Amino acid sequence: MKYISTRLFRSLLTLIIVVTVVFLLMRMMPIEGYFGANFDKLDEAQKTVKLQNLGLLDPWYTQLKNFYTDLLKGNLGESITYRPKVAITKILGDKLITSLKLGMSSLVVSLVLGLGLGILMARFKGKFMDKLGTVYVVGANAVPAVIYYLLIQVFFTDIFNLPLLYDKSNPKSWILPILCLSLVNIAYYAMWIRRYMVDELNKDYVRLARAKGLTNKEIMSKHVMRNAFVPMAQYLPASILYTVSGSIYVESLFSIPGTGGLLVTAIQRQDNTLVQALVLLYSSIGIIGLMLGDILMAAFDPRIKLANEGGSR
Amino acid sequence: MAQKTIEEIMNSEVVLSIKDLVIKFNLRGQELTAIRGASLDLHKGESLAIVGESGSGKSVLNKSFMGLLDSNGRIESGSIMYNGQDLAKFKTEEDWIKIRGKEIAMVFQDPMTSLNPLKAIGKQVQESIELHQNLKGEEAKKLAVEILNDVGISEPERRYKQYPHEFSGGMRQRVVIATAVACNPNILICDEPTTALDVTIQAQILQLLKNLQDKYNLTIIYITHDLGVVANVADRIAVMYAGDIIEIGSSEEVFFDPKHPYTWALLSSLPQLGVKGEALYSIKGTPPNLFKEIKGDAFAPRNPHALKIDFVERPPYFEVTPTHKARTWLLDPRAPKVEPPPLVKKMQELYIEAGDKVE
Amino acid sequence: MSSKKIIGKMADSIDPSLFDFAEYDESKSELTGYSNYSFWRSTVQVFMKNKVAVALLILMVCVIIFTVIQPYLPNQKSPTQIYINPETNLQYRNVQPNDEFRFGTNSIGQDLWARIWSGTRTSLFIGVAVGLFEALVGITIGALWGYVRKLDAIITEIYNVWDNIPSTVVLIILTYIMKPGISTIIFAMCMTGWLEMARFVRNLIIIIRDREYNLASRCLGTPTNRIITKNLLPYLVSVIMLRMALAIPAAIGNEVFLSYIGMGLPLDIPSLGNLINEGRALMMDPNQRYQLFFPAAVISVVTISFYVIGNVFADSADPRNHV
Repeated sequence: MKYISTRLFRSLLTLIIVVTVVFLLMRMMPIEGYFGANFDKLDEAQKTVKLQNLGLLDPWYTQLKNFYTDLLKGNLGESITYRPKVAITKILGDKLITSLKLGMSSLVVSLVLGLGLGILMARFKGKFMDKLGTVYVVGANAVPAVIYYLLIQVFFTDIFNLPLLYDKSNPKSWILPILCLSLVNIAYYAMWIRRYMVDELNKDYVRLARAKGLTNKEIMSKHVMRNAFVPMAQYLPASILYTVSGSIYVESLFSIPGTGGLLVTAIQRQDNTLVQALVLLYSSIGIIGLMLGDILMAAFDPRIKLANEGGSR
Repeated sequence: MAQKTIEEIMNSEVVLSIKDLVIKFNLRGQELTAIRGASLDLHKGESLAIVGESGSGKSVLNKSFMGLLDSNGRIESGSIMYNGQDLAKFKTEEDWIKIRGKEIAMVFQDPMTSLNPLKAIGKQVQESIELHQNLKGEEAKKLAVEILNDVGISEPERRYKQYPHEFSGGMRQRVVIATAVACNPNILICDEPTTALDVTIQAQILQLLKNLQDKYNLTIIYITHDLGVVANVADRIAVMYAGDIIEIGSSEEVFFDPKHPYTWALLSSLPQLGVKGEALYSIKGTPPNLFKEIKGDAFAPRNPHALKIDFVERPPYFEVTPTHKARTWLLDPRAPKVEPPPLVKKMQELYIEAGDKVE
Repeated sequence: MSSKKIIGKMADSIDPSLFDFAEYDESKSELTGYSNYSFWRSTVQVFMKNKVAVALLILMVCVIIFTVIQPYLPNQKSPTQIYINPETNLQYRNVQPNDEFRFGTNSIGQDLWARIWSGTRTSLFIGVAVGLFEALVGITIGALWGYVRKLDAIITEIYNVWDNIPSTVVLIILTYIMKPGISTIIFAMCMTGWLEMARFVRNLIIIIRDREYNLASRCLGTPTNRIITKNLLPYLVSVIMLRMALAIPAAIGNEVFLSYIGMGLPLDIPSLGNLINEGRALMMDPNQRYQLFFPAAVISVVTISFYVIGNVFADSADPRNHV
């Protein structure tokens, strides 16, 4: 319990630092992004007035203070070009839920398939299954995701007669986006669980278990698997990050009304406040993910409660 | 505790009998002969110590009794007879499952890594019991607690639920021993059981093993490079060099009347036996490269007393007493008489004097 | 003890003269135990054993040479010129691959073959540049981090915060607030890439300081530069090579990503990301799909090759694999 509360506190601190740093960096955004379509028609004085109204000419600490006060009130500002004058929290609401649903389903799918594949690879290390899995892992890691997303979109829609674009009411249209989102994570989980299981298999306690007379199967299921799962918890955050960056592609490719697709649109339309809100949202997801991973590890591994390591991971 | 006499041991039945065992490994595309035709009889209820420097093959020999050789190793020829079966012929896991734990159990060198860090220690002991003693659930747990108590863990019921990281090295080794004993084996192999422990703990663990041997009727093989350990616990000693047993006899015989020059060298380099003010003896050179075929006596290149024949022909076993034999040409009647090094001679004299007094 | 009996087969055919003492040569007793081991030779040996990696390495050397000399070869077209059909006076739009345009043309009549190699050249340049800068920044910061004990805590904190920001987000922010261009992309990628390198170098330096075999060599009077060249450099070089090799697929991937979200290179610079985007716009027409497939194939081959070469090299450089 003490570990968890320390960890929570640390994450909160990191979150505040990261949000502040990102916020200050975002002050350097091109000012066009605050005006929308009529930027070119305005003269210098009008621009200055507008910036002043937005509070952008205040010293940075005042801006920061205002930003945090607003944030505590649940106010992220208003969209500028995407849906002018609409509160960003309102825009985000539904989209966030869609993205979360998509992301969570993909995490579950990739966890199941990835761990399954990795365990098979470890059990048949060096055999055909392992080699086949390795080819997949290398492909998914090396090739830029958008390439196979596009290929999947081109071919799978024809071959399996699946809808090309997302449609909320048609569950079949969920299949391709979730598959795309999961591909990298499946490879990622498979790679690490395989490595950890192979590591565990070489450990002394496995020799002792074997000398005790446990069969290979029992050693796998009673000792190795659980021990290999524990360090896997630390990869959960990274896979959340993969899902986040994957969703930026996938959502816009399949026209899914989620936050990832929104970010692409916001960038293309130079909507500064919306970009800022989304960037902050994504940084927070990253930090929360890391924290969840650490807490999960602590829940599985009795050693962590004693040794509160901290420092660099 | 009364030590068994050597006669009692030699008269009790042979539980494990190894004949001309050859074990080879494939490494870096080359073939390494780790065990070169070793033979050994293990008698019921005895404590046999297998002594040798690292790389002499003592661990490999013992792993071969349990089917735990690494995947690149194989038994080339020879036999390991146990209970009427030849373990050297075993191939599948199903064969070995009947031996491992149930018949032969093993304690490894490093207690820090021998236990599963994520399982309560009691569960790990209980696992052995459930595998081999036909007990389940509460009954198995009761026995596990009892065994934990037997290996000297206080408050075993509370400790049952604790994890390995909450124990010190010595305590963990007790738990490891408990997991082995809980299998209720005939033979217990202790691979360097005290090497990783503090000197103060070593004696406790050895004493514990002695006690358990009586209580559970065990035959114990100690694998060690530490002659100090051997002196305390072993009834018989087998000295290994380069994959072969070059001398075997009762503890007294090997300590006080060794015949093989390698045994002489080994004893002379024991710090405990050193004479104050004199440089400690050290064996020159390195053990032979087992990738190459060894001709004659493997120790010959390092042996200052080597005979020409040592480089030509491998010596057979010469029997010194019915319980003591050694593989060295020095015991051949045609060989010139070679005086053992002064230290060994002194030991011999001490031994004879002590014997005279008793008589 | 007088009756010595021979156990086993009698060896009576032995020449009695053999029972003389042999000459004892102490130096000979030392001969048996050594093997001659060289780190780099073993690394190359292990690498060469992996036939796939060797084939890919040869392929990539060819690709790199080809991208460099391609513009100077005869009969090559310009990657940016719009070709016009002299007969109709119209642009060669979306011409299928033929003898003149080996990979066809794009929607405004540019030669896809030339554009792909030009794009590969750009991406490889970005990758190598990112790899070099990462190494430079990473080694400098990592060395300070590990060597100056006072800085350890503060750099660790900075690292922890920075490492917590998803690198995609950093890429997006930096490209959003800076002018699009090759230098922006290189800068943005270095900002996230140096972290791992720095952490690695720091750990390495702490290892030199504290690892037992290094303490041992120091106690034996091994000079520091020998410790560095023998114990540290092999490690460092192999990791820099790995990072460089992986920087290329990462750079290609990031460039494609940034182009996709509209933050990539200006459209007049042919790059693999821009090509993919152009191809994507036309991919729903089966006749035009070649405009997606050709760049996609080149990207896949290049990224997979560098990824495999880097990882196999890192494995070969790991002394634990030198059995």
